[in-house]
Formats: sequence, C-alpha cells, structure tokens
Amino acid sequence: MNSPATAAEIRLEGISKSFGEVEVISPLDAILEAAEFTVVLGPSGCGKSTLLNMIAGLEAVDRGRIWIGGREVQNLEPKDRNCAMVFQNYALYPHMTVADNIGYALKIARVPKTERLRRIAGAAQFVSLEGLLDRRPGQLSGGQRQRVAIARAIIREPKVMLFDEPLSNLDAKLRQDMRMELADLHRRIGATTIFVTHDQVEAMTLANRIMVLNEGRIEQFDTPSVIYRHPATTFVAGFIGAPPMNLIKVTGSGGNLQISNGDKFAEGPVEGPVLAGIRPEQVVLDAGGMPVRALFHEDLGSHRVILAKLPDSQRIHIATTIGNPETFNGEMRVRFPFDRLQFFEPDTGKALGTSRASA
Amino acid sequence: MIEDSRSVDRTANVILGLGMLFVLFPLTIALITASQSYDDFVRNGFSFVPDRYLLENLREVIENTRLPRQILNSIIVATLTATVKCVIAFLTAFAIVYFRIRYGGAIFAAVLVTNLMPVDLRFITTYQIASNVMMPFNTILEVTGIAYLINVLTGFNAQFQVSVLNTYFGMAAPLLANGTGTFLFRQFFKTLPKDLSKAARMDGAGPLRFMWDILLPLSRSNFAALFALMFLGGWTQYLWPLVAASTPDMQTAVVGLARLSPGQPDEVPHYPAIMAGALMVAIIPLTMIALLQRHIVRGLTLAEK
Repeated sequence: MNSPATAAEIRLEGISKSFGEVEVISPLDAILEAAEFTVVLGPSGCGKSTLLNMIAGLEAVDRGRIWIGGREVQNLEPKDRNCAMVFQNYALYPHMTVADNIGYALKIARVPKTERLRRIAGAAQFVSLEGLLDRRPGQLSGGQRQRVAIARAIIREPKVMLFDEPLSNLDAKLRQDMRMELADLHRRIGATTIFVTHDQVEAMTLANRIMVLNEGRIEQFDTPSVIYRHPATTFVAGFIGAPPMNLIKVTGSGGNLQISNGDKFAEGPVEGPVLAGIRPEQVVLDAGGMPVRALFHEDLGSHRVILAKLPDSQRIHIATTIGNPETFNGEMRVRFPFDRLQFFEPDTGKALGTSRASA
Repeated sequence: MIEDSRSVDRTANVILGLGMLFVLFPLTIALITASQSYDDFVRNGFSFVPDRYLLENLREVIENTRLPRQILNSIIVATLTATVKCVIAFLTAFAIVYFRIRYGGAIFAAVLVTNLMPVDLRFITTYQIASNVMMPFNTILEVTGIAYLINVLTGFNAQFQVSVLNTYFGMAAPLLANGTGTFLFRQFFKTLPKDLSKAARMDGAGPLRFMWDILLPLSRSNFAALFALMFLGGWTQYLWPLVAASTPDMQTAVVGLARLSPGQPDEVPHYPAIMAGALMVAIIPLTMIALLQRHIVRGLTLAEK
C-alpha cells in the first residue's frame, strides 16, 4: 500500500481574492503545520471554499504567496502542487468504472498499466472498496462513492489533502461513520489536511485546530477546546455550540454587573457596558438567583435546553440535566457565576480580558 | 383537487389516438397510392384499397429517375451538415460554459440569434457568396486600394473567383451556423456537477483532456439527439438545395421528389410512382429515428441517468 506520504507545512502569506468589487478573502496569513488536521469553519459565503480552491490551485490568488512544504506554489498548476481534493458532490466521473475513476490521475501522468493497476488495488483496499472496482459510480451508495472519491485523492500520495464539505450530502448516521473514518484516514496517511465545513460538530470532532472564517477574515485560529471556551469574538461565540453561547448586555460599576432594568446579574470587577458571554450549560439553577421566565424547552435525551427571558426581556438559553424537577415550571431562578463569564466589547465584538475560567 | 387518474388516462389516449391518425393518414394514403398501377390510377383516381404494384412502382422510380442518386446526395449533405453542426455546437458550448470569457453572455446571445436568421431568409446574399466565396475578400482589396496597387505594380487584376455552387460543401456550409445545438449542449453541461471539471484539473487533466475524456463520453445521448434533429433538418431543406444545386445529379432527394414525374409532361402525373418515391425518401430519416429513439429522448430531456 501507499507508504504514508510525508506531510508538508502550508504557509499562507497575505493571500487575498476579489470577485469584481467583492473582496472574498481579505489579506490572510496562517501557518498550517505539517500533518495537522485543520478545519476551516464558517457560514456559507465566508470565503472558505474560495480559500481551499486557492490552496488547491483551482482559483488564482490576487496577491500574496502560498507555500507548501517550503515550495512557493501560487503560480503552479493544481497537479504540480502535491495536493488532492475530495469534493462535496464526490464529482466522480459517471461514465468510468470505480477503478478508472481512482486511476485517472495516474493514466494522465502516463504511469505504466501494471503499476497503475497495482496502485489502484492498493488505494481501493485502503478505503475498503475491494470487489467494487468494476462498478459505475451510479451503482454505489453514498458512502461508497465518498470512499471512491477518497481513494482517487490518495492514489497520488499527496502531501496535502483538501476536503470541500465532503460530508454534507450524507445522512446523519453515515455522516457520523464517515467522520470517524476520516479521522482514522488522517491518522494512517498523515498528510496535512484542510477540511472545509459549515458544520461545527465536524469541526469540533475532527480538527487539531479550527480556523473560523467570517467575511474573508480569520476570526480565530486555535484548538477546538480553546475556541469553545474562549471565543475571540462574539461571532465565534455565536457560531460554535448548539445552542451557542449566550451574549447578554450588561453594565458594570463598582464591582456589580447589572442588566438594563437594574437587576443584579453578577458580581465582579468589570466597568462600563459590555457583552457577557456564558455557555448555556454553565448557567446555574439557584433558588437565590435572578428570576427568569421559561418560554420553551426542548428535551434532547442527555439534557434539556430551555429558552428563557431575563427580567429586562433579553433571551437566553439554559441547558440543564433532565429529571431535575425544578428545571421547567415557567418561573425559575438562575445564577451566572462570574468565573464562567467571557466579556466582549459591545461595538467591535472582540473579547476583553476575561476572568479566565479554570479549565 | 381530486384527480381521477382513469379519466385522465382515457383523455390522454384519445388525444394520442387523434394525433396518430393525423400523422398516419397521409402516410397511409401515400402507401396505398404507391401500391396502385398507373393505369388503374388514371382510370379511378385515388383509392383507399391497397393494390399489389408497390414493387413495380419502386422499380419504375429506381430505374427511370435520378432519385436514387439524389437520395445519396441527401445522405451526404445531411450527414455532413449534422456532423459539423454537432461538432461546432459542442465546442461552442464547451467554451461558453467552462471558460471565463469576457462578453461570454453576449457571445452566447449572438449565437442564439442565428436561429432568427434561417437560410431561407438570407438565401439571396448566401447565393451571392456561394457563387463566389472570394467576394468579401475582393471587396476588402478594392476598398483598401490594395487591388489598385497590385494592378498598377504587377498588371495583375486582383479579382478572385471561386464558386462552391453545385458542390456538397456549398450545399451544406450555409446550413452549419445554428444556435440550437449550442443551446442544447450548454444546457446539458450546466446540469453536470460543477466540481467535475475541478476534479479533472486536480487529476492533472487540461481543458482538452477534460473535454475528450469526460465531457465527450457523457454527451453521447445529446450528440445522438442533436444529430438526429440536424440530420432531419438537412434532409428536409428545400429552398437552399434548390438554388445551390443546378444539375439534377447534384440535387437532393426532396428537390428531386418535387420534380418527379416520369412520363410525358402533358400526361396525368404518375402519382403511384411519385408516392413510391416519397416513401423511399421518407424511409431513411424514419429508420434513423427508430434506431436512435432511446438516445433522442434521453438527450432532449437533458437527463443523464
């Protein structure tokens, strides 16, 4: 089988891209370490697919430089960049057999037939596709097609693997299976991997580091746990987590934090108007806390999510364990522990020096 | 709304039946007439009772008219037209869909507009050009004064004369430019996954390789459908072949059929023989459609399984 390809570091230096008047990627710098699994996460239209295409060479960069494994590649053809890509709709060639699909790149590269067949068999075995080599893509299930697409990508033993929302067409069960397969695949191949998605669960589970992209800018680039616990901006706070982090408008003065009707929110050394962020599961039920009115609740088996209204009408999500008798009776009292709060500048949405919660 | 599927079915069947009658009636008349003898026809006129002279009438047409040769002409011209049209349409659509071309939309619109300019509308100018394809070139030489210069310098009269009238090329060429095929292929390419071309690029295939290895095999049904349509179009062309071919040996079957009247000019036309000729002319496109039917339906519905 393919010997694990040596991975390559990817360096992006001030790359940018505009389509006409619209700037899709603002000058962007990042270093993706060799063999790292990076997930590029963002809402649709944030430029994440464009970024991926630029690294692959399918889209030219307007300015800036891309380095793969110490080689400057932004002017090279895709095939010369040592990258392989798996597409959202598989993009298999419908008229070719599985074997021909997997081996097409080798055929173009004029690899002799015997070696080609050997490597096709190897790649197929790697993703458990033996016995399906003579089928057409139309005769395969979604998961099998996905595997063909992966086999087609790994056959050239790329140093960089690029995934463009490869799981978004699969049903929930299959998506979970494929997620684990991809994690396993990354472990076995060891190629530097960039995975584009708008699904935060995929991002949290697969990534070594997550690059959160918004309107062509990097909002935060860090490990999943840091991104979850210490979002750098309100955008990240609102994008990660289901339901996302609560962002509550509060004003601090003299060691007290208040919401707009004057009720006490928490105690702590914060001054002036800020946005206080707290994860739904970190809100504490406490008979001596602030009274809130529960509006809806959703039972999710492992926990219950309650949508509630603060006395000044701001809405928050609260996650509680199921079976707690106090959890849903219309009126409830909650406390916001100061050491769990993250503070954001209301105008820019940037994180302020937080009272770092103990890990 | 409650839909009574049985009554819908019945209505559909009635409509289909009427349509079939409408199509088959003239064909039946032709077939019956072609089976009658000339004598019988002169005496009794059209009849609805088939007779047994079909083969004789066919032999009459084959032996005593130019129709067999003209059918061959038609096959050549229609095949030439359909093939070249398909190739041009495929290439144009490929360029429009897969390349970022400045003014691509405008170019596509211009291509489509050619549908509003059928050859019947422009056949006088087309005839002028066909009678001397160098005419535009001559005009350029004259207007720019180059012709005068050449004349003064060398004494050579720079007027060129090349006629393509009465050639297969001349009969086919004016029919070649047509937007329908481009439109058909463009719509088909648009239904293919966008990532297909990207995947091919990642695999190292250049544009031509992608066209040849991926696009062409996927377009087989569309080629068949377009070829059948364009072949029919070329086959049934009347006006242009009529003026472009001046000798009976170069005329197409449809033109020949219109002039088909074996026997003396003042006699009653030999309708049974004419109908036998009509059947001969019709049988070729009919056979082709029958053979390509499956592809035609798939190609026109733009659905690749």
